[in-house]
Amino acid sequence: MIRCQGVRKAFGDRKVLEDIDLEIAQGTIWGLVGPGASGKSLLCKLLTGLQPADGGHIFIGPDEVSALDENGLMRVRAHFGMLFQNGALFDFMTVERNVAFPLVRAGVPEAEALERARVRLRAVGLSGSESKLPSELSGGMKKRAAIARATIARPPIVIYDEPTAGLDPVTTSKIYDLLRADHAQTGSTVIAVSSDVDGLRSFAREMGMLHGGRLIWNGPAAAIGDADHPVVRQFVRGELEGPL
Amino acid sequence: MNGGAATLVLERIGAGVLAIAREAGGIGVLCGRVVRSLVPPALDARELKLHLYKMGVRSVPIVVLTAFFTGGIMLIQSGIFVRRFGAYGLLGWGVGYAVFREIGPILIALMFSGRVGANNTAELGTMTVTEQIDGLRALAIDPIRYLLVPRVLAMMIMLFCLTLIGDLVAILGGAIMGKLLLGVDFWTFYNSFADNLKTQDLAHGLWKSIAFGGIIALSSCHFGVSVRGGAVGVGRAVNAAVVAAAVGIMLLDYFLTYLLP
Repeated sequence: MIRCQGVRKAFGDRKVLEDIDLEIAQGTIWGLVGPGASGKSLLCKLLTGLQPADGGHIFIGPDEVSALDENGLMRVRAHFGMLFQNGALFDFMTVERNVAFPLVRAGVPEAEALERARVRLRAVGLSGSESKLPSELSGGMKKRAAIARATIARPPIVIYDEPTAGLDPVTTSKIYDLLRADHAQTGSTVIAVSSDVDGLRSFAREMGMLHGGRLIWNGPAAAIGDADHPVVRQFVRGELEGPL
Repeated sequence: MNGGAATLVLERIGAGVLAIAREAGGIGVLCGRVVRSLVPPALDARELKLHLYKMGVRSVPIVVLTAFFTGGIMLIQSGIFVRRFGAYGLLGWGVGYAVFREIGPILIALMFSGRVGANNTAELGTMTVTEQIDGLRALAIDPIRYLLVPRVLAMMIMLFCLTLIGDLVAILGGAIMGKLLLGVDFWTFYNSFADNLKTQDLAHGLWKSIAFGGIIALSSCHFGVSVRGGAVGVGRAVNAAVVAAAVGIMLLDYFLTYLLP
């Protein structure tokens, strides 16, 4: 269970997140949408303790992230897999070493970790790219490699920040298929952040929308299109007329 | 100067002082975190070896070249007076004393800062702006322990080694130039060197080199991990790191020259 109570964060005078209340049940796929710079990625970073919240409480299971020191956060982060917006692959390592990295650091013998990384890379359609450097991959390939790294250790919570941003529709569908298959196998709790409402709606079970620093909608993904809130409705339908 | 202009000047001086204090404080805090990460010692040996090679072994050619000509330049500069006073017997001592205690450690440290420190800041800065450092933290890996500690240790160890190599090459350069330009044979040079210099003179410079390695490492790491603003920010950080390291080297040299025997 992931729980936020009154979470807020500001940078100087700019309030980015205000009074965020949220509960995500274990095993749920929760999608988060919102206009650019609405604080979606920031919320992910607050959940993992990569950024400290200014106020409120964040619980990951029994642990209150907002009250932990860096050592405690390390312990909590071991439960997470995270895909960053730009992949954040380590550019000084080959693709297979990137993917094997979480296993190696968790104490899995290197040969075994590399073998599991190769299997994982095959599963995401990247066989043949094992010894390439991230800079030699296309955008879609980088995303897939980063997804492989985020999920190889089968963490109980996975955060995908913009898993399909900048990708063509076919690659987008492939990525969502991959995420779906992963979730079916692991049953992990998934938080997926995207501006692509349609893609995310087909993947997530529950969805939320951030706007003006607040979580203005949270409910079943199937119902977001019929939301009463005019901002949500306009955003989901992509209409030009409206409050946005 | 009217009151408004004076206030403006004072504000700018104050802002400058605050900025320097902020960066110096940041370097100090980083130093504390690096030291704390060493207790208990859990070092990534693979990263350490990689950086020892990248930072040290690959710097040997440039250090040898610089040091050889440094020895030669020392000789050319002092040659006029050596000739005038016929002090050929002091040549080895003069070159050795200056190289061991001051010129060797400082020049090699500045060279090391330009080559290795700047590269380190650029590398860490790029990792910061592309979220690779956050990526490490998200994988429950402490970036200080995994990324910074091996770099700091590698720089301190390798600057010590490079200074030792550089000192010896500079002395050799001095001896060769002494023979070629002043006709001082190697034995005269060697005897002057060996009779008048003590191990303490060599150690004085080597202690300094460890401290210089530390300040280069800490400033390059600090500016690297605190980069803001993409590629422009990385460029600015590299510039700031090299300047901070150079100032740090000079300040440390001043105090260590007093403190060390």
